[in-house]
Amino acid sequence: MARTAEKTVSGATSHGLSSTLAVSPPLCASHVNSGRTGRIASSWLDHVPHGKHLPGPSQAKPWLAHYPKGIPTEIDLDEYASLKELLSLTCGRFAEFPAFESMGHAMTFRQLDVASRSFAAWLQKTAKLQRGDRVALAMPNLLQYPVALFGILRAGLVVVNTNPLYTPREFEHQLNDSGAKVIVVLENFAATLSKVVASTAVQTVITTQVGDMLPPVRRWLTNAVVRHVKKMVPPWQMDNTVAFNDVLSIGRDLALDEVALGHDDLAFLQYTGGTTGTPKAAMLSHGNMVANVLQVAAWVGRDLQDGVETLVIPLPLYHVFALTGALAFFSKGTRAVLIANPRDMPDFMKTLDRSRPTALIGVNTLFRALLDAPGFAALDWSRLKLAVAGGMAVQKVVAQRWKDATGVPLVEGYGMTESAPVAIANPVDIVQWSGQIGLPLPSTEAVILDEDAKPVAIGSTGEIALRGPQVMQGYWLHPEETAAAFTTDGWLLTGDMGVMDEQGRFRITDRKKDMIVVSGFKVFPNEIEDVLALHPGVLEAAAIGVADVRTGEAVKVLVVRRDAQLDEAALLAHCRVNLTGYKVPRFVEFRSEALPKSAIGKVLRRALRDEDRAAVDRQAPGSTATPGPRK
Amino acid sequence: MTADSPRARLVTLRDGRQVTVRAVKGSDEAEIVRAFDRLSADSKYLRFMVHQKKLNPAALEAGLHPVPGRAFVFVATVPSSDGYEIVGAAQYVPADDRETGTRDSSDSSNSSESSEISDSRDINDKGRVCEFAITLAEAWRGSGLAVHLLASLVRRSRRDGYRSMEGHVIAANRPMLALARKLRFEVAPDPADATVVRVERQLAPAKRPWRVQLDAS
Repeated sequence: MARTAEKTVSGATSHGLSSTLAVSPPLCASHVNSGRTGRIASSWLDHVPHGKHLPGPSQAKPWLAHYPKGIPTEIDLDEYASLKELLSLTCGRFAEFPAFESMGHAMTFRQLDVASRSFAAWLQKTAKLQRGDRVALAMPNLLQYPVALFGILRAGLVVVNTNPLYTPREFEHQLNDSGAKVIVVLENFAATLSKVVASTAVQTVITTQVGDMLPPVRRWLTNAVVRHVKKMVPPWQMDNTVAFNDVLSIGRDLALDEVALGHDDLAFLQYTGGTTGTPKAAMLSHGNMVANVLQVAAWVGRDLQDGVETLVIPLPLYHVFALTGALAFFSKGTRAVLIANPRDMPDFMKTLDRSRPTALIGVNTLFRALLDAPGFAALDWSRLKLAVAGGMAVQKVVAQRWKDATGVPLVEGYGMTESAPVAIANPVDIVQWSGQIGLPLPSTEAVILDEDAKPVAIGSTGEIALRGPQVMQGYWLHPEETAAAFTTDGWLLTGDMGVMDEQGRFRITDRKKDMIVVSGFKVFPNEIEDVLALHPGVLEAAAIGVADVRTGEAVKVLVVRRDAQLDEAALLAHCRVNLTGYKVPRFVEFRSEALPKSAIGKVLRRALRDEDRAAVDRQAPGSTATPGPRK
Repeated sequence: MTADSPRARLVTLRDGRQVTVRAVKGSDEAEIVRAFDRLSADSKYLRFMVHQKKLNPAALEAGLHPVPGRAFVFVATVPSSDGYEIVGAAQYVPADDRETGTRDSSDSSNSSESSEISDSRDINDKGRVCEFAITLAEAWRGSGLAVHLLASLVRRSRRDGYRSMEGHVIAANRPMLALARKLRFEVAPDPADATVVRVERQLAPAKRPWRVQLDAS
């Protein structure tokens, strides 16, 4: 396996554009207030109360006694009526301070306010979008992202976050499912989009170039280098496109109709995989997002000062963890330095050196990559106050090395797209890695439930379930999936198995949901198997997660061939056409026998994993590698 | 159909819809294939626990011709414009060896070995444990059809001399787990794999008549 692995690793990660911009995740966001959405949300809410709607008896919250000093136990949801209000109040308050910075160029809160207003007006008046319509974003971390994001929200529309590295197949599904009418795409990815845009509801494509928000000379230079020197923009042809900067200049002269938004209005359709892997969108309302922004800000904000902090964001903003984290810091007037491509380590290092962050958010994989990077030791971390990790389990060795190198602990948070996402987190004053995911955030309840959805005794294992104002409204157009995600008492089932101790600290022990978490991005075996089955040379196939030092878990596929000539290279090439980078299998094993099944024909993955583990042990005696179940 | 196959029964479900429940016949082949193709990818996944695009020919063959006394397949049908349509199926087969749980006897495309093993075991130790599976078309979920099918499997397998019935259920498949509990299956998480739950029910001949009645309800 290891031999196959080496070969595949390079193959799976080095394709085309993926190495040029952005990491690679899938979670999505967008919002709506159409009658359709409203009905879905409220109809099932009638049956499944959750969060603030819950009348039930209040749960004992042992964790509250263990909050660090100064952390409130509850947040005041009424602080902001919507993300739009948060934007407008924050931009007014910090007007001349830098809000976002990319490629050495900063945009102030005022400039963001002005540009997002123009963008919003264009969406309303030129694109003629109605309140609740969806607008998709397909961009890495560039200044255009916050402009478009806030523009969409201000116009009363819903953001659909997409991963710009999606393959046509993946784009098509999300655009059709969300019904997005407009998409903003970085030109580097327009060729991919052009293959499917005609079969979606998209009416207008807004294209942007990497340097669009930079000052004129740098803009021209950057765009020319990207296009002509680095040749990162494959030729594309689409109807009904408009340039991002044209949208801003046209929108500047258009009136913006103010839309009164409240907590119940939809803000994001954030895509995630379902139990069996079919991507579906969590409906995150303005109230959900405001709640989690306030919760995260309350949790990490004690030692942060308004208007003076510098946050570096190497995790793409279309990932819900980066998104909410960025908004929480934004609300405190933080300068957020956007990293478009953290894989370009020398450039990333230069940015870190120049910006001297006081806070950093990322995933374990990224912190590990930083620690391993040449030049890391020379960086000055004296200003750093906070390093937050989410999306996947933090490894002990990474946490220790990080603490040793920077003097600041790596604080792990836990949550899911469906909870906007942070629900449980380690206190920011921890001194070292605990192996726990921490305490529930303010105004959040967490519980361990048994198979009958009854709370278990302290110290017993069960499924972690959540309630709180950040918990989603449901799945977009999937009322049945929504009903299945909640207990009758309104607890959101996480699919993670865990334990709570007497202090109310939570620890994850296993995963109930069949998924693989690669560098913080969820991969569902069903989707991988679906793609493999499309290849005529495949008779049957199963995807499993295997432990990986770098990415936490990695995708391994076991394939029974129909065509004996089928080789790994051909299979991976097929995968790359249909799956974005992080989903592409890292390990391929061809099997001469049918996959192991139970008598009645069910493929028991435990048997597959056991076999895989046994094989690893044979190859590397004493190896401790085991498939990691943790998120 | 064997001589002692149950007669087809017309069942009225909770929502008023009626289905016919009967033993599978060899002539159901085309309808079974169609029914499988109509299932969503998710439903197929819940049944096979792996992405399954096409029904495996060996599995189809085994499902159409269950060995009398060892295995059984019920199908639920409704009339359609061109005859009938299959909206649900439930089956049991002799379970694998508990410890390995990996041998493939129902749809093996590869093994003369496995049929040899299952044959010998069935002769020596007539199916102490059977494994079941139920598949329903999406539109028939929550109608009570699954309860009826599982109760039928329990009764039938007991007649075939099985001592217990087990099943593997995706842990997130809460409707199926609720159904298993309703029919007094014990639900035990697999300590080695939280994504799958094992359900099991003893089939010792009913001592009290009310048990039988409950099953039939």
